[in-house]
Amino acid sequence: MELIWLSIIVPLITACVIAVGPSKNARTTAFVGSLLSLAALTLFAWNFPAWKNGQHFPMVAGADWVSGAGVSLSVGFDTVSLLLALLTAFLMPLCIAGSFTAINDRVKEFYGWFLVLGSSILLAFAARDAILFYIGYEFTLVPMTLIVAIYGGTERRIAAIKMFLYTFLGSMFMLAALLYVGWEHRLASGAWNFDIDALTATAVRLPIATQYWLFAALMIGFAVKVPLFPLHTWLPLAHDQAPTAGSVILASALLKLGTYGNYRFALPMAPAGGAELMNVVAVLSIIAIIYASLICWVQTDAKKLIAYSSVSHLGLCMLGLFALNPIGAEGAVFYMVNHGISTGALFLCVGMFYERYHTKDTDVLGGLAKRMPVWACFMVFFTLASIGLPGLNGFVGEFLCLGGTFIAEHDSQTGYPGVLGPWYAVVAGLGLIFAAMYLLILLGKIVWGPLREPASHASHASHGETHSASSTLPIDLGFREIAILMPLAISCLWLGLQPKPMLDAIRPCAERMLVNYPAQVERVLAESAATAQVTAPITSSETSSNSQ
Amino acid sequence: MSGELSIPQAVIAPELAWVGLAILLPLLSSVVCALCGALRVKNKLPAIVTALALAISFVIIVRAYFAYAGPVEVPIFQWMSFEWGSGGRFQSFTANCSLYIDSLTLYWMLFVTGLGTLITVYASEYMESDVGGGYSRFFFGISIFLFAMSALVLGDNLAMLYLGWEGVGLASYLLVGYNYDRPSAVAAAKKAFIMNRIGDLGLALGIFMLWANYGTIQYSELFAAMKNGGQTAVDWHLSVIPFLLMLGAFGKSAQIPLFTWLPDAMEGPTPVSALIHAATMVTAGVYLIARLYPFFELHPEALATIAWIGCSTALLAATIGMMQYDIKRVFAYSTISQLGYMFLGLGVGTSFGACYHVLTHAFFKALLFLTAGAIMHGFAGQLDLRKLSGLRHLAGWRIVSWTMFVGCLWLSAFPYTAAFFSKDAILLQALTSARADFRFLGWMGLFTAALTAYYTFRVWFRVCAGPLHFEGGNEGHGDHDEHDKHAAHAAPAAFHPHAPGWAIKGVLLILALGALVVGVPAYKAVFLHETNWVQEMIAHSSAYQGSGLGSGLGSGLGLGDAGHAGPVSHGDAHTPTVLGMDAHTGLTVVGSTASIGGILVAWFFHLRSRKSADQLRAALARRWWLGWIPTAMENKWYVDELYHYLFRLPLWFGSQILSFGDKHFLDGVLVDGMAKLPLALGRVFRPLYSGALQGYAVTMAGGVALVLAWVSWVWLRGMH
Repeated sequence: MELIWLSIIVPLITACVIAVGPSKNARTTAFVGSLLSLAALTLFAWNFPAWKNGQHFPMVAGADWVSGAGVSLSVGFDTVSLLLALLTAFLMPLCIAGSFTAINDRVKEFYGWFLVLGSSILLAFAARDAILFYIGYEFTLVPMTLIVAIYGGTERRIAAIKMFLYTFLGSMFMLAALLYVGWEHRLASGAWNFDIDALTATAVRLPIATQYWLFAALMIGFAVKVPLFPLHTWLPLAHDQAPTAGSVILASALLKLGTYGNYRFALPMAPAGGAELMNVVAVLSIIAIIYASLICWVQTDAKKLIAYSSVSHLGLCMLGLFALNPIGAEGAVFYMVNHGISTGALFLCVGMFYERYHTKDTDVLGGLAKRMPVWACFMVFFTLASIGLPGLNGFVGEFLCLGGTFIAEHDSQTGYPGVLGPWYAVVAGLGLIFAAMYLLILLGKIVWGPLREPASHASHASHGETHSASSTLPIDLGFREIAILMPLAISCLWLGLQPKPMLDAIRPCAERMLVNYPAQVERVLAESAATAQVTAPITSSETSSNSQ
Repeated sequence: MSGELSIPQAVIAPELAWVGLAILLPLLSSVVCALCGALRVKNKLPAIVTALALAISFVIIVRAYFAYAGPVEVPIFQWMSFEWGSGGRFQSFTANCSLYIDSLTLYWMLFVTGLGTLITVYASEYMESDVGGGYSRFFFGISIFLFAMSALVLGDNLAMLYLGWEGVGLASYLLVGYNYDRPSAVAAAKKAFIMNRIGDLGLALGIFMLWANYGTIQYSELFAAMKNGGQTAVDWHLSVIPFLLMLGAFGKSAQIPLFTWLPDAMEGPTPVSALIHAATMVTAGVYLIARLYPFFELHPEALATIAWIGCSTALLAATIGMMQYDIKRVFAYSTISQLGYMFLGLGVGTSFGACYHVLTHAFFKALLFLTAGAIMHGFAGQLDLRKLSGLRHLAGWRIVSWTMFVGCLWLSAFPYTAAFFSKDAILLQALTSARADFRFLGWMGLFTAALTAYYTFRVWFRVCAGPLHFEGGNEGHGDHDEHDKHAAHAAPAAFHPHAPGWAIKGVLLILALGALVVGVPAYKAVFLHETNWVQEMIAHSSAYQGSGLGSGLGSGLGLGDAGHAGPVSHGDAHTPTVLGMDAHTGLTVVGSTASIGGILVAWFFHLRSRKSADQLRAALARRWWLGWIPTAMENKWYVDELYHYLFRLPLWFGSQILSFGDKHFLDGVLVDGMAKLPLALGRVFRPLYSGALQGYAVTMAGGVALVLAWVSWVWLRGMH
């Protein structure tokens, strides 16, 4: 409990220290601060009692904050939120170390805001109170917007404003829905309370029609963040313009707030709505998978390509989640963590050559394996992890998400009926082929092939001069950069070969999240069968008798 | 009926965990190679480590073979497995890192590790010009290749198989694209991976479907579940599975429609081609179907499809191979063609024939590729069979020429070579089938055999026989790199090929010997009337036809009622006839005729009177209705172009449109349009506000208002 708060507060304190300290110390201070935060969280995770038994939030506690409104400062983790928080805390020091040479102006502000960003993401994952969650969730926007707007590329202001407004508007729906549930809770129990468990317990008792709208509202809020097609257009622009560290944390942690929100709020609170709308979300996810991966194919900007690939990958994650069975849900949570690792690493890799060449245009740049063999090894490795090569981390999540979708049939024998099934998996599976296609094309352009460097860079290099910014950088990766990528590579390999402990940790949470679904999906299926019975009485009498 | 031979239940034997070293060792050697690369080791250490690791794996497999007593399952560690609910069937998903060892596994692993070792030894010399450069990377790839292949074959469940399946795809990607500064190599590597991915998707879906129907993806439990029949109510599910698995197999084993990657994959260094074509990768598809043969037997229509596709691929690839000028390319098409035979064998119901052909093919194809590699190595990349001639007269090249001759004899299934027997087993089964279409396929296969003999010996007569003359290639290989290049450019006559050393020659000799040895089981069967060792191995595994699960289907396939206890049970009284003779004798006669006839035609056109080949071509070209055929064959029947225009181009256009639409419509019109709406509103309310952020303030206010309205509406709805 104290450790949780420590991991959230330490970055904030560090940010304050940076603000008052000299700017030449900012980097180191930030790095140490983020390491301390990670250490606190790791220590907490080390002693976390619920890894194996799947207890529900064993460490919940917290002072009342706004007691009259039932808002409390309670934080706590289940294994899913703990994994995501660990991911965030793990990436923070790497991102900060990755910015040492990339950020040269307004250094203090950058690291300060970056730490605030990390802190608020951790708060959102740790929160056990819906309002506290909302505060963390929403506050991420402020530092993120500033990071994009100040340190981004040429269109940074448009990107920042679009990102802010878009996600802000989306989360209004979510807030409204949460407030509504809180109010219902007050009607039912007589007092305000925004504890997530209490809200969930209230919400599942709401009438079906209400749950339907509740689900839709929560879903819209989180779908913007995921981002789900067609609400994704803010993301490629933001990624394109953000500095490397911003892109990494955006893809790896911020987007996970969207999927986590679905996992924590939308699905458990409104099972009746979720069961009704699962096919809608699944179809949107599949569209996202195919649509985004086709767009990836024709991107010439390496960062935009990876941004769109995030849309595609998270589509698969959402699909797994909305398969509404343990295989899919477990795969989806696993995928959240692994997408964070491999996509974050890819953004870091792209950042590393961007620092050297000041372009991410794959038409200008190519064949870097000749110039930067070490970098090329990492790039190929993380690309393969992202493609979902078995033995690396991406595969496990992908395989389980697709498998979960596949078996989510109405007559599934898993105890978890669904309305998806093989056809959904077939179409989504095309995404795997496309993913291999666009990522290997990216590799083929920038890593393999004859060496192509931007004209300015080549001439400078041949005269023995280098750009001012790249003067501090070796031709290939230096020790610092290798040290950044190494932990990510190791976790890719480890999670790919030994996913079992994590899967075991996720399973009870996934099952608890789905506890109301088998009955609700049965109900939806029975209703649709009844509708069919009205239209075609002879054929459907069989199906309804089967389902009983 | 042959129902008496069912698959024995696998015993759990943790004490056999040492067999797992066969998977672990290549993995370890890949780690060592990676370290060598990182530390920039400038000697042959990576090759030595890899060869040693593979040799030990081979020894381990041999030990396992002698210790083998029946199918065993060896748990190693838990990988992807979990359960929910009550944890029973359909409420658990188990995909552990465990081994399933039966005679099929051992059979496969014997030649995978054995040939892998030999090819590595060969490569240690072949790649020596890259020592200190890509040498470590190359052997890293080889190690990964063998690791993946071992995992594929030894794994006890389909997820392990999938791991190996994608792993060999990765290894081929890394190795085919070994010369990464050559755009054609990069493109070929990409193509190989993506085409394989298409097949992989089929395999993945097939695995899911197997799980959905049987609740397990472990072989032993699957076989047990199959005995009890499928668990599903939906019939089409079950009947779709074999087709999905087939797609995977066709992708990996380069069959129609996914065969075009394999010829391009020869962009990789030659030992890689040998590895891909002979021991690893392409045999995986055959293994998959052989492994799940009991399941395929439940679906005769799927087996028929396999037979048809296999035979069509064999014919198509042979026709293309006839008109290629690149030696490696000819051999590449011959691989596709021979794989077609293997699938024909599986399809018509002789898994024995198919598996035997895999073995014989592995040896002679490795041999052929390695001889081609030796030529390429010595002649600075020259592989055009029009520019090489009479190499057997050249000092230092005799071993290469004559081992190549052995390889060619085997490939053309010359009478009483090992490949003759294995092909014979397949064609015999087809020709004696009760199904008319299978008999037709048998004749088609015989016709293809004649073509095979022709194109194989076309290469040998051109390259190794005839008057001595040669031109060097324009590509540096070997230690006389620069010298070779200049010589080749200055005057072809001054080009000095450098003869292969003993690592290469030794491996060639061992392979030639191996090609002879793999014939021994067949000789024993023919002359001593003993049971064929290969048949024995296959018969005691899940790949045995009529293994008790598919009983009752035999008649439909011509398996049981034709009177075959086994496909090459000689002297069986009820053996049907071929051309009025006893089936076996008839096939021997017809097969030998096809093979020798093909060789004779090749001898005439490519040794005795080489001009007449060109004259024939010219004569054909003069007739409009024939002239296009050689051109089309030379251009691979334009299949690549077809795929390009049919799939790639429309998809690419679609992607461009989507990309444009995403940017300019979805984002530009819809999202930005929405964002402009408050601005327009703000213009109305301008007197009320001032400052740059008014638009956004209005957005927020409007948003909140909308939300409030919506919430109250929801609440009203919820009230009743």
